[in-house]
Amino acid sequence: MISVQKLSYVYSPKTPFMSQALFNVDLEIEEGDFFGIIGGTGAGKSTLVSHFNALTRVQKKSGTVIVDGIDLSSKKINVKSVRERVGMVFQYPEHQLFDDTVEKDVMFGPKNLGLSPDEQRARAREAIELVGLNYNEIKDRSPFELSGGQKRRVALAGVIAMKPKILVLDEPTAGLDPVGKRAVMELIVKIKTMCPTVVMISHNMDEVASYCNKIAVMRRGEVVGVYTPRELFGSERVISSCGVRLPLVTEIASKLACSGLNVDPSITDEDELIEALVALKGGSHA
Amino acid sequence: MPFLDIKSVDYAYNSGDDEYIQALRSVSLSIERGEFVALVGCNGSGKSTLARLCNGLILPDRGYVTVDGMSTSDKKSLYDIRKRIGVVFQNPDNQMVTSIVEDDVAFGPENLGLPPDEIRARVDWALNCVDMSAYAKSGPLRLSGGQKQRVAIAGVLALKPQMMILDEATGMLDPDGRAEVMRVVEKLNREENMAVLMITHFMEEAARADRIIILDHGRVVADGDKKLFETPDVFTRAGLDLPISVRLAQKLRARGLDVGCPIDIDSFVSSALSALEVQRGEVKSDEEKNSNGGGEV
Repeated sequence: MISVQKLSYVYSPKTPFMSQALFNVDLEIEEGDFFGIIGGTGAGKSTLVSHFNALTRVQKKSGTVIVDGIDLSSKKINVKSVRERVGMVFQYPEHQLFDDTVEKDVMFGPKNLGLSPDEQRARAREAIELVGLNYNEIKDRSPFELSGGQKRRVALAGVIAMKPKILVLDEPTAGLDPVGKRAVMELIVKIKTMCPTVVMISHNMDEVASYCNKIAVMRRGEVVGVYTPRELFGSERVISSCGVRLPLVTEIASKLACSGLNVDPSITDEDELIEALVALKGGSHA
Repeated sequence: MPFLDIKSVDYAYNSGDDEYIQALRSVSLSIERGEFVALVGCNGSGKSTLARLCNGLILPDRGYVTVDGMSTSDKKSLYDIRKRIGVVFQNPDNQMVTSIVEDDVAFGPENLGLPPDEIRARVDWALNCVDMSAYAKSGPLRLSGGQKQRVAIAGVLALKPQMMILDEATGMLDPDGRAEVMRVVEKLNREENMAVLMITHFMEEAARADRIIILDHGRVVADGDKKLFETPDVFTRAGLDLPISVRLAQKLRARGLDVGCPIDIDSFVSSALSALEVQRGEVKSDEEKNSNGGGEV
């Protein structure tokens, strides 16, 4: 679905402020993936994903990016058709709400696709309901008077209303309280049923471990590797060489295993750890 | 008299269209010098409003707030109050005012009209406290998020406050940045006896404070030490998560395995090990040899 080959990117080239953000990145994201991208601040995560909807253009002789069959490294590309396919949700997307009613804000994307007013409205309604808001109650309200969690839902609805095939999210749960974080993640899972390919940048290892099927680890502009959660968090080698932190549950499992307890140190799921400990208790009484 | 005293405070703000939102309802609490307090609650529970009341950025509709005996409603005291309480906000990029780190830290002391020697001394001291001396001449925009927040903390420190309020100061940082900031804040509390009021969504961070206050819909619904985690309901009722160690302990208890109420990962691990008392005597001694050996190298 997304294929990145030998992609490099330089900010402010040929100036004293030149800094290279990406170095020869190779990456394959397949249809149906819930693809996580992790790495410290400045690793190049946002620069990489901003190529996916042609917001950042591939620089000359700096590799190729192919999204749903469209070669974004060619000189002439139809930006509109790329952005129809790839929905991009930035950090703190609620800062980008701008219209005076929720419905108009969500209709903005469909309108730019050139859809008829009826179709725009139908799309907005569908998207607003999908994000779990009551369409009739909220459509005429100002997006600015909503709560933080509601605003983020409206912002997501604005992207979903474009019916993208690929959804790219940059830290979708940053700044939310624990309940809000969980609600947004559940919402993304729901959206994934109609938009099957999801790419998510996250600093939250617990989220990445529970939701993603593949995880790319970035460091200083390079992709160190792509792993399943189990491979990544179970491998001492990768963990220590990439400066990745373990999900808390995995940290506990590996500390228990280190102390001689017979549990799998790569467990990334709380209930799995509970089962393992309960089983050990049974064992000790036998 | 407590250092910070908040008494029966109500506060409502206008959300536009003349709709008022009651952000705080008869809130009373006090914080002593040197205390480390975490303030937790859902989005919209009134945490940030409370932070803004503490140094007089906003004033209560009813009740009062005093700092070191001075009321925030007394305009003449605001200058002295803000020297005593420093606030660090969530977004590091909104808190930088100059293009060189040490100038940024010097901004506060310069505004106090201090002599140049004193300013120099304070800037050096503040940057040293947050382990950023090496970056004194750097531009703030080239720093990582955690480094920027540490510079923001240094800027507050340079005013030599007696209390620091961190309003989700780690919210936008990556895990390493969060750990850096927590380490610095804990050090300041311990070594400089600085009172800390830390607003956070990360329950693991809150569990490291000496005292935890829970806000729910503008009211204080709990205020106590780490023992609060023994009654997890007060957290869940306020829409909050529990630290993972408490959550796991709760689930284990439901399955007949009592590991007590460990509030951090290490105490969970040790109580789980002793609760299970697996015949791991030999295994453990082997393991100890290995890990000790590894640790020394």
